[in-house]
Amino acid sequence: MSEKMTIAKALNAAHHQIMNDDPRVIVMGEDIVGGAGLSGKELGGVFGVTAGLAEQFGKSRVIDTPISETAFVGMGVGAAMTGLKPIVEIMFCDFIGVCFDQILNQAAKARFLSNDTIDMPLVIRTTMGAGDGSGAMHSQSLHGLLASVPGLNVVCPSTPADAAGLLKSALMSPTPVIMLEHKGLYGAVGEVDSGLPAVPLGKGRIVREGHDITIVAVAQMMEQAEKAASLLLERGTSVELIDPRTIHPFDADLVLTSLEKTRKLLVVDEGSEFGGFADRVIAAVATGGFQYLRAAPQKLTPPHTPVPYGRQLEEVWLPNSDEIVKKIDEMMYDE
Amino acid sequence: MQNLLDLYTKASFIRAFELHIAVAAEAGHVPGLVHLCCGAELVEVAICSALKGPKDQVTGSHRSHGLALAMGADPTAVAAEILGRKGGLSKARGGTQHLMAPQKGFLASNGIVGGQVPLAAGAALTAKMLGAGGMAVAFFGDGAANQGAVFETMNLALSLELPLLFVLENNGLGQSTSAAYASGGVDLLSRAKGFGLKAASMNGYDGKACLTVAQDITEYVRSNCSPAFIEASVPRLSGHYFGEKADYLAHHAAEDPIEDLEEIIGAEICARLKAEAETAAHDAVTNALNMGEAVAEARP
Repeated sequence: MSEKMTIAKALNAAHHQIMNDDPRVIVMGEDIVGGAGLSGKELGGVFGVTAGLAEQFGKSRVIDTPISETAFVGMGVGAAMTGLKPIVEIMFCDFIGVCFDQILNQAAKARFLSNDTIDMPLVIRTTMGAGDGSGAMHSQSLHGLLASVPGLNVVCPSTPADAAGLLKSALMSPTPVIMLEHKGLYGAVGEVDSGLPAVPLGKGRIVREGHDITIVAVAQMMEQAEKAASLLLERGTSVELIDPRTIHPFDADLVLTSLEKTRKLLVVDEGSEFGGFADRVIAAVATGGFQYLRAAPQKLTPPHTPVPYGRQLEEVWLPNSDEIVKKIDEMMYDE
Repeated sequence: MQNLLDLYTKASFIRAFELHIAVAAEAGHVPGLVHLCCGAELVEVAICSALKGPKDQVTGSHRSHGLALAMGADPTAVAAEILGRKGGLSKARGGTQHLMAPQKGFLASNGIVGGQVPLAAGAALTAKMLGAGGMAVAFFGDGAANQGAVFETMNLALSLELPLLFVLENNGLGQSTSAAYASGGVDLLSRAKGFGLKAASMNGYDGKACLTVAQDITEYVRSNCSPAFIEASVPRLSGHYFGEKADYLAHHAAEDPIEDLEEIIGAEICARLKAEAETAAHDAVTNALNMGEAVAEARP
């Protein structure tokens, strides 16, 4: 049995199930219930992911916080260290700048410093991604930056089933997990099996099989890559498409196995052009799959600038399917 | 009187422990620098005596050897952690600034000034959720008193009604910067009151007063499930870190709160208790030294 739903709905359903199954799970963040101290209707989170939770589980477990990311992220860390399972929402990943000490030094290190005697079932949910005119401070994709911190696991789902399944696995993990949800994908619809099966951390997924080139694409870039793959197939180029799902730990084996067949790699990522996830994938291929390569591995990322605001500026800044097709044409021709 | 004797016994033990760590540091047995808590013992023991781990949890700063001991962490394991020995609390992964003994109620100390304060809010939230009357205490220094993490947590604790006690140990110095300079001369207790916190001062030289204030304010936090704040005055008797030259100080002499307490209790009893504390501290640090250094596994 499966059902079609959006990512927002799948995440909401997963929250309900997780909170119902385990009374130690709490959810906190800014405006996740909404209307705190007011008498109107609840908001349910700015993207609707936490809608209805307070009504069902009460405001002692679904907690609206003041706008104090350092304090409430740290509170989540301390709560995880003492036996709760907190899901902490940071409204936009850009806001991580405000509370980075609590992530870099506290969340990431507590389990290590306890000699792994303390479990940290902490999930930090946040958003990522450009394309909606939100400007430089509400649009970044910081998964690569976060994945570079030892002690943090990072996931970036691109489908409703993966979003729900990764959230479940994240909360079962003894190490903290940061889940970046692409703002442009909350409305994306997909099939979700009943019971919302868990998706293991560290395992990527073959989205479509092919034999001429491997594309690794993250979050909303997967939509662009799928579009490009369809166009390319009409012209006789068969693309194998991989969604890593988890950024760290990165499923290098899946990519290397694919590369053994296709011998070419393109990474499409909205993250940083310099030292980002795309570079990490290419490094894995250069060190672990050199013998398979028939062309230099390539990446398509935005330029190394902040996200611009104007419609046309932002559109040009983001990689798209046409650029993917062009890049792959070049790579095929190179041979 | 029994409470005062307990206070003296534990404080003397922590002092003796720190002095043995200092000897080990001088002999080159400590991997890095150590920040000793000499001078703050009465405040720390008095407050921790009003707590019981693991339902109560404490977080502390980089200067937290005494707090871990006051909460009941095994002294040999604490010493071994500071000395980088394999029998350490975390098998030498953390060290002097990252002590953890949550099963005893000492959740964590911290290398980031003020970083431990939001963590205590989390422990307070857990205590509130469990509903078993537990609470959390965040100890921090006057240096941390100007950190945003502390301000945010003071407000958050009020907003969410957390059973959280903030303890500002004011030794007048953030490394080499005076507390008065750093706060623009503003009194830190009135600042806490400005947040709306119930706030009390604690004279760290007056053992009796420390016990009374600690009892009263922890009871307030528990019974009201509400945060509170203590500003405790303490001397920093052993420098920012042990071995520091501290030329920035015009004069080094400060009164020793433990000696003040000896005058109240009496020299004869104190001499006996002190000798016992000295033996116990010597044994703990010596046993730790004898453990041998923690050894890394080979790189995979």
